[in-house]
Amino acid sequence: MLVLFSNVVKAQERFIFTPQWTAQAQFAGYYVAYEKGFYKDAGVNVEIIHPSATESAMNRIRNNDSHATTLQLCQAMEIVDNGISLVNIFQTSMNNALVIVSRRGKDPLTQKGARVGIWSIGFGQMAICMSIKEHLDYEWIPFAYNVNLFVAGAVDATLAMSYNEYYQLLQTGMDLTEENVYRFCDHGYNVQEDGVYMTREYYETHKEQADKFAQASRRGWEWAAQHPDETLEIVMKYVRDNHIATNRVLQKLMLAEVLRLQVDRESGKREFRLRPDMVKLASGLMVECNLLKHEVTYEDLITK
Amino acid sequence: MKKNIFNIHRSLSTRLSLLIVLFAAVILVASLGYMFGVSREAIRQEAVNHATEILENTALRVNGILDKVVIATDNTDWLITSHLDSPDSMFFYSRCILLNNPDLNGCSIAFEPNFFKERGRYFSAYSYNDKGKILTSQEGNEQYEYFYMDWYQLCKLLDRPVWTEPFMDYNPEDIYSYDMIASYCKPLKDSEGNYIGTIAVDLSLEWLSKTISAVKPYPNSYSIMIGSGGTYFVHPDTTKLFYQTIYTETLEKPDTAITALGRAMQRGEEGMRQLKIDGEECFVFYKPLSTTGWSVAIVCPESDIFGSFNRIRRAVTIAVLAGLLLMFLVCIRIIARELRPLKRLVKQAGSIANGNFNETLPDDGRNDEIGQLSDSFSNMQRSLVNYISELKQTTAQKASMENELKVASDIQMSMVPRTFPPFPARRDIDLFASMTPAKEVGGDLYDFFIQNEHLYFCVGDVSGKGVPASLFMAVTRNLFRIVAQQGHSPAEIATQINNILSNDNEQNMFVTMFIGCADLKTGHLDFCNCGHNAPLIDGEFMKLKYTNRPLGIWEEGDFYGESIDDIRDKQIFIYTDGLTEAENLQHELFGDERLHEFLAKAQSLSSEQVIIMLQESVAKHRDGTIPNDDLTLLCLTIVEPK
Repeated sequence: MLVLFSNVVKAQERFIFTPQWTAQAQFAGYYVAYEKGFYKDAGVNVEIIHPSATESAMNRIRNNDSHATTLQLCQAMEIVDNGISLVNIFQTSMNNALVIVSRRGKDPLTQKGARVGIWSIGFGQMAICMSIKEHLDYEWIPFAYNVNLFVAGAVDATLAMSYNEYYQLLQTGMDLTEENVYRFCDHGYNVQEDGVYMTREYYETHKEQADKFAQASRRGWEWAAQHPDETLEIVMKYVRDNHIATNRVLQKLMLAEVLRLQVDRESGKREFRLRPDMVKLASGLMVECNLLKHEVTYEDLITK
Repeated sequence: MKKNIFNIHRSLSTRLSLLIVLFAAVILVASLGYMFGVSREAIRQEAVNHATEILENTALRVNGILDKVVIATDNTDWLITSHLDSPDSMFFYSRCILLNNPDLNGCSIAFEPNFFKERGRYFSAYSYNDKGKILTSQEGNEQYEYFYMDWYQLCKLLDRPVWTEPFMDYNPEDIYSYDMIASYCKPLKDSEGNYIGTIAVDLSLEWLSKTISAVKPYPNSYSIMIGSGGTYFVHPDTTKLFYQTIYTETLEKPDTAITALGRAMQRGEEGMRQLKIDGEECFVFYKPLSTTGWSVAIVCPESDIFGSFNRIRRAVTIAVLAGLLLMFLVCIRIIARELRPLKRLVKQAGSIANGNFNETLPDDGRNDEIGQLSDSFSNMQRSLVNYISELKQTTAQKASMENELKVASDIQMSMVPRTFPPFPARRDIDLFASMTPAKEVGGDLYDFFIQNEHLYFCVGDVSGKGVPASLFMAVTRNLFRIVAQQGHSPAEIATQINNILSNDNEQNMFVTMFIGCADLKTGHLDFCNCGHNAPLIDGEFMKLKYTNRPLGIWEEGDFYGESIDDIRDKQIFIYTDGLTEAENLQHELFGDERLHEFLAKAQSLSSEQVIIMLQESVAKHRDGTIPNDDLTLLCLTIVEPK
């Protein structure tokens, strides 16, 4: 009876999930799982709180304000390397979305020493590795959150996510071709990105809750893949509620691209798993380029 | 009426009306088309001038305000770089700018990380205008790393003053209200020209938005403003502001015209384009705003610019169409009225054509073409009546003459023996003859009779044709009977007939003739050829010693006869030139050669078969051509008893 009571209390305990960015189709599966009641069905009381300008997602995790967040694999490895033990409880991305976009008619690989925009909060690890390995010696110019530096001509090239900034650039009237867009996934840097992480400490005491969240989230993504139009409506509701400066066209394109990136190239399926070979590839590159002090292994990241 | 209108092939009035209206329509369409074209171009040019002027004025006003910001910043930055030894003075300067320029919203004087080592990594003196109250603070911290912000970095990287893209500044107390802000940023440099930080002055663009939105040269026209990234910052559809760019919809539905417009505006060009926006043809006039990288445009629906023009054009078109229809109907009525006498004339002409020659023609007393036609027709009617009367008489006379000619023909034919075989009791004579006049009566003749076991026969051809020739033939045939029965030789017969015919022959007519007398017992033949075609004997033309002249030409001189000892079992064929001169359509003669060829193969045939087959051969040769001469054939064989 006591055990039962304890389980009910745990089930009702709030599970605060914070996506690492503002509301957009990148997190559609979680919105769907919430709106369609998949979390409730799974018996987990999820609350989705987006990061703010004054408090990033990782800060919320550190302060124990949120229990889980989405991180790119390389970001997670850096955090683990810095001494915070993280657990990947759910993996969505199976492909790398990072691209370098340079001006029309310019191949990013020929622009040695070019000024290249990079997110001030990370995301560009594979680009840094590539710059070192290809001896391109890019000068990295951190930017906060948009493509204005590149559009204004203040940088020669910029990093972009194929589901987000890539479409933002198209929306500014840029010509993007095979020549001026370098896709990391096609050049030996195909490292998984988004997954849901929590501190190992929290995980150890909330394994059941974390598993239920992961299963319900997977259900949410699978539903989103089958119902993209309805999913877009749900995404737009979150976009409106959070006053995000975006539009339906961009979100539609983002949803399609995010869903595409979830399909494993080799199996052709949505596997929702961390691939040991990709962890090894990322870790090896980042150690080689001094982005990691130690190797971070697959085992360091998975639930045990 | 309806029937008349549509039955244009049968109605002259409809056809004429249609032609007149069509001609008038062509003239009108050409004139109006030219006029409308010229007017439209004038209106278009006027619209271009009007919109361009408004755009110029708007840009001038906006640039005036923006320039104030630039001047305020330029007037301050030297103070900043002169007091780099006093970080706190930066708060004073940022505050002063706002105090001196109440239109400005905020001012940041921000420095590179750790520039003032004693102040740490972040130092940005920020003042802002909170409803008239100037508040100042240090804004940089771990959560707001200002040196990654556009307003800080753009001028640093570009190494020149720039305007940032407008951005939304939310009111923390009311999340649904926001202000549109843009910052003018200028790099700060130390005495050695090294970049040390950025001064950014914020300007609320609410007034700019209102100023541009108010530009409305036409009832349904509107204004837009886009930033250097194509984002809408002014647009009548406020849901697009900040959220959409001029290219957003083209990502799903490519539109080269919109894309070209966006690119031109982004390049800072000034101009006018005509394109379809939301399915409506529009004129877009665009112009850049100072050096901001922003561009403002006025979108004028074509229907607005040409609204009055289109209404006038529609009204004129309807009026012209109605006028043409009216003209058509009036033309039909007028022409129909003018042609009414003609219709009566047509009706009465029809009656006359049906034989009612006494139909009275109308007299409208008109002197125009129709009156003249009526008079002419009346004259024609009278002439026709007379002509028909004469024709009736002539026809009656002709019928009488034809009847007489028929009788004459019968008489003529009865003058020659027509019963074959002519001597049924005699097996030693195979004789057959035929005579076919070219007209009702002819000038050919043949005859034969037996007297004292001698067979007298002749074939002749009178000069000329028709009735005169037939009368001469009748005389000649009677003379032959009379003279031959007196037992004369063929030469004597010819001499006597010639003497009689040439006497009082005022018409100078003559007759060619072959006269023969065959002794039926011995087969001896006496003959005299008087200018006639040489007969054929056993298929070969006879070689005559004396041809003699035709009978009736002149009296003097005798005729010479010839003889053949025995003609028994020999086929003698005598003919007139109607045989050898029979022509076909190509004017080719039947000819001696064809005759010779035919008779050479006809030795075994009876006289009747020879004549009939030869007639068929001639008919075939003529091939439907009307005979040009009388045709007479006679074939004779004296058969020796066996």
